[in-house]
Amino acid sequence: MKPFAYQRAEAADSAVATISRTGAAYLAGGTNIVDLMKLGVTAPDLLIDVTGLPLRDIEALPDGGMRVGALTANSDLATDPVLRTRFPAVALALLSGASAQLRNRATIGGNLLQRTRCRYFVDVTKSCNKRRPGAGCAAREGEHTDLAILGASEQCVATNPSDLAVALALVDARVELLTEGGPASMSVHEFFRLPGDRPERDTNLPPGALITAVVLPATPIARMSTYRKVRDRSSFAFAAGSVAAALDVRDGVVQDVRLAYGAVAHRPWRAYAAERSLRGAPATVDNFERAADEELAAAKPLRDNGYKVPLIRNLTVGVLRGMTEASW
Amino acid sequence: MSTTTVGAGAGIGTSPLRPDGTLKVTGEFAFSSDLWADRMLWGATLRSPHPRARIVGIDLTGAVATTGVHAVLTAEDVPGKKLYGLEHADQPVLAMGQVRYAGEPVAIVAADHPETARRAAAAIVVEYEVLPPITDPVAAIDAEETVHDRGNLLRHVPIRKGSLEATAPVVVTGEYEVGMQDQAFLGPESGLAIPAEDGGVDLFIATQWLHGDLGQVADCLGLPPSKVRLSLAGVGGAFGGREDVSMQVHACMLALHTGRPVKMVYSREESFHGHVHRHPARMWYEHGADLDGRLVYVKARIVLDGGAYASTSMAVVANATTLGVGPYKVPNVVVDGYAVYTNNPPCGAMRGFGAVQACFAYESQMDKLAAALGLDPVDVRVRNALEPGDTMPTGQVVHGPAPVADLLDRVRAAAPPAQRGDDLRELPGGVANTTHGEGVRRGVGYGIGIKNVGFSEGFDDYSTARVRLEVVGGEPAAVVHTAAAEVGQGLVTIQAQIVRTELGVEQVTVATADTTVGSAGSSSASRQTYVTGGAVKAACEAVRAAVLRRAGRDDVTLRGGRLVTEGGEVVADLVDVLGDRPIEETVEWRHKPTHPLDPRTGQGDAHVQYAFAAHRATVDVDVELGLVRVVEIATAQDVGRALHPQSVRGQIAGGTAQGLGLAVMEEIQVVDGLIRNPSFTDYLIPTILDVPPMRIDVLELGDPSAPYGLRGVGEPPTISSTPAIVAAIRAATGLALNRVPVRPEHLTGT
Ligand SMILES: Cc1cc2nc3c(=O)[nH]c(=O)nc-3n(C[C@H](O)[C@H](O)[C@H](O)COP(=O)(O)OP(=O)(O)OC[C@H]3O[C@@H](n4cnc5c(N)ncnc54)[C@H](O)[C@@H]3O)c2cc1C
Repeated sequence: MKPFAYQRAEAADSAVATISRTGAAYLAGGTNIVDLMKLGVTAPDLLIDVTGLPLRDIEALPDGGMRVGALTANSDLATDPVLRTRFPAVALALLSGASAQLRNRATIGGNLLQRTRCRYFVDVTKSCNKRRPGAGCAAREGEHTDLAILGASEQCVATNPSDLAVALALVDARVELLTEGGPASMSVHEFFRLPGDRPERDTNLPPGALITAVVLPATPIARMSTYRKVRDRSSFAFAAGSVAAALDVRDGVVQDVRLAYGAVAHRPWRAYAAERSLRGAPATVDNFERAADEELAAAKPLRDNGYKVPLIRNLTVGVLRGMTEASW
Repeated sequence: MSTTTVGAGAGIGTSPLRPDGTLKVTGEFAFSSDLWADRMLWGATLRSPHPRARIVGIDLTGAVATTGVHAVLTAEDVPGKKLYGLEHADQPVLAMGQVRYAGEPVAIVAADHPETARRAAAAIVVEYEVLPPITDPVAAIDAEETVHDRGNLLRHVPIRKGSLEATAPVVVTGEYEVGMQDQAFLGPESGLAIPAEDGGVDLFIATQWLHGDLGQVADCLGLPPSKVRLSLAGVGGAFGGREDVSMQVHACMLALHTGRPVKMVYSREESFHGHVHRHPARMWYEHGADLDGRLVYVKARIVLDGGAYASTSMAVVANATTLGVGPYKVPNVVVDGYAVYTNNPPCGAMRGFGAVQACFAYESQMDKLAAALGLDPVDVRVRNALEPGDTMPTGQVVHGPAPVADLLDRVRAAAPPAQRGDDLRELPGGVANTTHGEGVRRGVGYGIGIKNVGFSEGFDDYSTARVRLEVVGGEPAAVVHTAAAEVGQGLVTIQAQIVRTELGVEQVTVATADTTVGSAGSSSASRQTYVTGGAVKAACEAVRAAVLRRAGRDDVTLRGGRLVTEGGEVVADLVDVLGDRPIEETVEWRHKPTHPLDPRTGQGDAHVQYAFAAHRATVDVDVELGLVRVVEIATAQDVGRALHPQSVRGQIAGGTAQGLGLAVMEEIQVVDGLIRNPSFTDYLIPTILDVPPMRIDVLELGDPSAPYGLRGVGEPPTISSTPAIVAAIRAATGLALNRVPVRPEHLTGT
């Protein structure tokens, strides 16, 4: 590991000023960045530990929304009773991630900024455009069963590994920031991005910005939401594919629906086409299938990850069918 | 290093608490990675990033110039033989002019801090001329390009029995593949070498075979074996992955060079590159049977990818081949097994040792045969089941119990698991809330396997035990000393139990295993309770004979610290007979000899003992999502005699879980010679949520030729659990599934 300096942040604004000036990195739970430093994937000269900042509050907003401090532990948020009623998909997504120990340590802000698990990204001896722009992408022809089927580019087929992010995309969450210019905020849809020809950028977070909170806007449909994740073993594994869904069915007709997919793209993938197809349609398995197919028509699987197409399709149908039955 | 006194209690057939048990579960046990010595330096290894390359130059300047570095050594600094290997010395201590796999050690460094050592290693500049790696073992067999000068074929084992031209009315064929499994022991490779005043070295090491290491280390250091002393340090699991030398020579070289103790501990990623794995296999099978499902012939071709160095590949392929038709009567057999060099990571010993791969293929074939004939899969197996007195494809007659049909009947008769409940934890995907049971189908599958116990093919397989009986604090006490490695299987406890049973004393101390006593052979091949257990028993018998001689009696046994006649009359106290003159005996004990295989026909009594286990697996498969949940395993195994019944069940449950791992998740993914998943985040081993409840039926049929009648226990459960689980998944899905591990992408299709 490259030597680095370590500082504890005294205040948010001074931390932002230092990071913006020096290109140093924030340290939250450290469950991702420290691993990447050990592997030589990232090598900051300075780590600013922000865990002492007062950003751990979970607020239930009167309008039905919530504001969650960026340093809240994943496990603390997952077990929050208000969250479990207002946004069950978010709680389920958090609980499906990592292990109990990791969830105790990992923060909400860190979770959103965890980096891809693409094996070529974390192996410094291999070419990766995300790690070293212009180096090429070894994953396209290599081991890529877990990589993207949607929205990938020539340069990058990485997936975003976060479960939480998928549920946040479902509820149109907003990310609150502190930048050098002052507080700012952006929707998760602006926050996450597709790789395009700038695969080195995971997000559109302004350089140096500190995530201070995540806001879950009041979303009545989210009370009927869920998250399902498929993985290679029963616990402690990243997703092979996941679906977050919220559904409002009345008299057998879909009044409103939201769908987001995980582990299929460089960002959490909001399935707008499927949502459009379903809104106003009878809540039948046929329609669920058609909606998923419409969304997945855009899929461009690689040599070995085509299984994700039927997987996501079946997962969509299974989740929506389950929710429909439950709403009767 | 301390000795171990096994807690109060009992002799063989009981389950006294293991002395290491509480320490391990409370995190207090001292593993080899906890070793410490004053003025200790830390070693680090620079490894090749390329699977195949010529080394054009090595520039050590950067490493040597690093503050805190005490030694930087390369192949030129190896004092003795430059090559080592368990069966065939083909592996360089440090790369010489070329590298043959990614991860091959090129240079070693000692520094005053582990991070300094790692950084110094990284500062070494190696100029490589990269060559295209040879990675397909099948193509490698007769490829022009070779990994070593001797060609790529490490060993071909042909087995010919009966007629080569046999034909049959029912024929099923199949091609099968087994991925590269890792032992995935939790304690990474580690050891501490301390230079000694006599110019020799003391090595404290986590290993499976102290004397196996000793011979190779002494040769490479150019020292007489008497100057290299090894002691067993706390071993965090082995499963075959510690049978080969890893950093043993490196740590000693650095210690001798610097004159200071040197400790080395591999990281998890380094560990994945630093030990051998289970051989990936490609297998082609043809089974011919009559219309009743009786086997007429089996033809098979088995190709094992040995990777870059020989390790134990020659023995592994002999096992795969000689056990290649399974525990069945087959009159006509043509099997060819090949172990092949490639530039993939080296493969060698792992629990099941060749029998695992073959079992997946022949059991898949038995299911195909049953399907072709419309018969029940268990009926077909029972109809062909091996019995005592039958001959194996090698011509070896099976002596002693061989309850193949009985084991199958038992797992078939076991009560089936309950139907699926609504508890999410009981569904595929478990707590991940993945399914509500819509596409969930249940399947049941069977598997039975055969394994040889002990070393084969004429290997002089023995163990040495030293037992001393003396008076300590007015009580008779025994000390047992062997070089047998406790790797977590419970051997320390077993040794004490045997001494208690044989000498009738309460207080038994098991001395730390080291090389001041003769070899015990390896803790592998399910052999250690058999062979070292046999040696301890024999040493106790010698001690007992000496006691009786001293007492001038020949009509007594030792019980409760006394000399007792058959009628129960106490004739003397052991304390009085011993006085202040301890009795000590050292015995080298051998099982009955084995013989080489005929190199053309594969005929010969190559194996010591056969062991059998059967499994029934019940699975729920979510066919829409490709998720498998193993609901229950029923297993039956003949262990001859259970010396420590709880450990026997532990071995059976653990072995079954390891077979489950191979069935549905465990694989080292190697692409172009490079390991793509060298971490426990990416190399998945079953968690407790993936391991189902098990019904374990232990038979104790007694092998008349083995000590106490025991039969090796450790490997058979791993062998047949994999095919049973895959058969159950096939039954649920109707898919062919010719490759393990089966993963979600194989079940959802594309
Ligand atoms: C073995 C393993 C399994 C895992 N499995 C899963 C899984 O199944 N699902 C899943 O979703 N995740 C999984 N994770 C990932 C885990 O959730 C993340 O590592 C964790 O959420 C990161 O949070 P942290 O606080 O530790 O971040 P850190 O490692 O401290 O930081 C991560 C990144 O975010 C930056 N950062 C942190 N906080 C802020 C902030 N407030 N503002 C700006 N930048 C910030 C850091 O500079 C760094 O670049 C797994 C991780 C491991 C190690």
